Amino acid sequence: MTRPFDVLVVDDEPVVTAAIRLVLGAEGLEVAMAPDAESALAHPALATCRLVICDLMLPGQSGLEALQEMRARRPQLPIVMITGYATPAQEELALAAGATAFLPKPFDDSELLTLVRRALAPTDAAGEERTP
Amino acid sequence: MKPGIGTLAIFGVAAVTAVVIGVMSGIILRAHQGALIDQLKRSADQLSETIASTTYHDMLENRRDAVHREIVTIGRQQGIEKVRLFNGVGTVMFSSDEAEIGRALDKKGEACYGCHAAGRPLERLSMHARARIYRAADGHRVLGMIRPIHNEQGCWLADCHAHVRSETVLGVLDVNLSLSAADRQIAHDRRQLILLAVLAIAASSVLLWGLNRQLILRPVAALIASTRRVAQGDLSTSVSATARHELGDLARAFNDMTRRLHEAQGQLAQADKLASVGRLAAGVAHEINNPLTGVLTYASFLEKRAANDAETRADLGVIVRETKRCREIVRGLLDFARQTPPRRQPTDLNEVVRRAATIVTNQLALARVSIALELAGESAPLPADANQIQQVMVNLLLNAADAIAGSDAPAGGSITVRTSPVAVPPRGNAAIRAAACPKGCDLLDPNVRLAGVPTIRVLRRAAEREVVVHLDPVYGRANHRAAEPCEEGVIASYLCFSCRTRLELPERRCAECGAPVFGVQVARLGQVDWCARQGCQGTRWEAMDALGPQPYAQIVVEDTGRGITAEEMDRLFEPFFTTKGTRGTGLGLAVTWGIVEGHGGSITVASEPGKGSRFTVWLPYRVPEPAADTGGGGTGAVRRVSMPDARGTAASGSAEPASPRGAPETRTRPADEPGGQA
Repeated sequence: MTRPFDVLVVDDEPVVTAAIRLVLGAEGLEVAMAPDAESALAHPALATCRLVICDLMLPGQSGLEALQEMRARRPQLPIVMITGYATPAQEELALAAGATAFLPKPFDDSELLTLVRRALAPTDAAGEERTP
Repeated sequence: MKPGIGTLAIFGVAAVTAVVIGVMSGIILRAHQGALIDQLKRSADQLSETIASTTYHDMLENRRDAVHREIVTIGRQQGIEKVRLFNGVGTVMFSSDEAEIGRALDKKGEACYGCHAAGRPLERLSMHARARIYRAADGHRVLGMIRPIHNEQGCWLADCHAHVRSETVLGVLDVNLSLSAADRQIAHDRRQLILLAVLAIAASSVLLWGLNRQLILRPVAALIASTRRVAQGDLSTSVSATARHELGDLARAFNDMTRRLHEAQGQLAQADKLASVGRLAAGVAHEINNPLTGVLTYASFLEKRAANDAETRADLGVIVRETKRCREIVRGLLDFARQTPPRRQPTDLNEVVRRAATIVTNQLALARVSIALELAGESAPLPADANQIQQVMVNLLLNAADAIAGSDAPAGGSITVRTSPVAVPPRGNAAIRAAACPKGCDLLDPNVRLAGVPTIRVLRRAAEREVVVHLDPVYGRANHRAAEPCEEGVIASYLCFSCRTRLELPERRCAECGAPVFGVQVARLGQVDWCARQGCQGTRWEAMDALGPQPYAQIVVEDTGRGITAEEMDRLFEPFFTTKGTRGTGLGLAVTWGIVEGHGGSITVASEPGKGSRFTVWLPYRVPEPAADTGGGGTGAVRRVSMPDARGTAASGSAEPASPRGAPETRTRPADEPGGQA
């Protein structure tokens, strides 16, 4: 059994999930990947991870619906929404639906890391929700 | 040919006039005739009275010869047909027609009918009952008047003892007057009345024809012609609407309708284009941003890992920088589609220009294009969105490079970029960005623009013609456009296009020629007036003059490329307009225009086909307070979504780039559009 996953990344673009895994992996984080909302919600990592990074536009069930479902299951879980078509309206919608942060694509590694570190910081401090 | 409204109306009026005048003439003739006959009856009665009294004594004394002589004498007078005297049984005792004497008349005859019709003779009759009119043998009419001679004491006591007391009527005096003269008079009167009636009908028909032609046919013909033009798609047409009657109302309603159609059509077309830009931008953004995320994340990750390999690190740095530029371009496209206001920061314009030049260096080298930067010395920071201005510069440089690549010159060409601070005097440069009539109607026409700036639409009335005129919105420039020309020197009057309020400013006179002036109100910037005399270019905008020259940063991008034709110039800044076929998106200059416009600046083009083009961008150093931005025509949102068409630039075609707007302009912008995204 490997280490539990720290981060669950949901995006239908393999290049995006792979890039995120590369950057976060280098930081020592275990990254799980899901190509759509359905598999993300079924993913065992969702119960244990400390952060979710989820695309807004997913095939099938939308990212917003996935966000609401995940928020319902894990009220304290930091969830960062990413999107290729960022509009102020969508950002507002995502934050209203319970997103912790909103990151428009494309981003570079430092932008991603800054956001991830900020999202994880309070969780680490409180040691909350860390289940084996 | 079908009879027209006018012909039918003329026939109708002529028929009614004929009937009315006919009936009226009949009544008048009849009354006239009655009066004339009455008068003759009275004279006949008087005459018989005279004869009776003249012959009275001769009768009493039974001097028959004398009676005979008197009757013959009277009977010969002019106009008297015949005078005769019957006895009680109808025998003619005396007559001016001697052949008749002794003849007995039938009591049923026309002379006796008045009394004897009822069988037993009536003895007292009114004058009218005693009169009769009949035709003589030769056909002319005769008025007969009988007068019964009643029995009286003198008669039965007379020596001749011819009458006894019991008789009531002894005889009848019958006077006959000719009616020829009266009939001639009546016929003459009738002829005159008929002549007058015909004249009245003819005159009213001619009058009606003239009125019909002037008041109905001409305006209707103009309306029909305009309707046909509209049907053919010419929505800029208008008809003269000076008439005060219903056809004038119709013409005004027609003009109003075409104006609204024109506006709606323009707005629809623009909205359609914008919707397309928006859809395209959204699609492009979504599709491109995913691969860009991969490239950017990998490259920036690797850049950090390559700390020890300076060369690789530098190469990766280029990938990161260029990918970020792609990100900005996509973002700029979205910004353009959503009309995002610039995020202004104090910006070093020269630095932005240098950066833009660096970005396009490789592309320029490939196209064998050299670039020369002639940048201004130390200058104050410009309040601008550096990313957006960089995009403007990149767009202009790439556009110039494409123009050179598209030219016939095989040896490539050169681009020169110059920056310099300029003081822009209001006259000739400041644009009127809000114009209202005294009642507050917005006069700006976003559908007709000069160099991308909405014109001011007014009505010009001169020589009985009303014509739509689009005034040049740039203060001091007189590139006005009228639907039809007007003679030089004519002093026209000008009206609000919507409410028709007169725009004259009676208290003012043109400074150039002293003629009357008309003006429009500009929100918080007083009023602008123009000379009403055709051909005079006198104009005044005191509030703007008082502000004086305004500081702008000028960027000139000059190339030696293929140049721009007049037709291309007209559409240069339209979205999706491209001369580069599939290589161009037609968005570069549209985005550029949107950004410059968003900064309150201006962009103008001068070009000579085959020789090259010069784009001049002016960006204001003084930015209007956002709080002051709420005034103006209130149609800011509408104006914001309208695309430029650069028409005025093409028309002016001068080597000198025409005009940015002067200083603190009235600009309106939707307040709910936040700056770009995180």
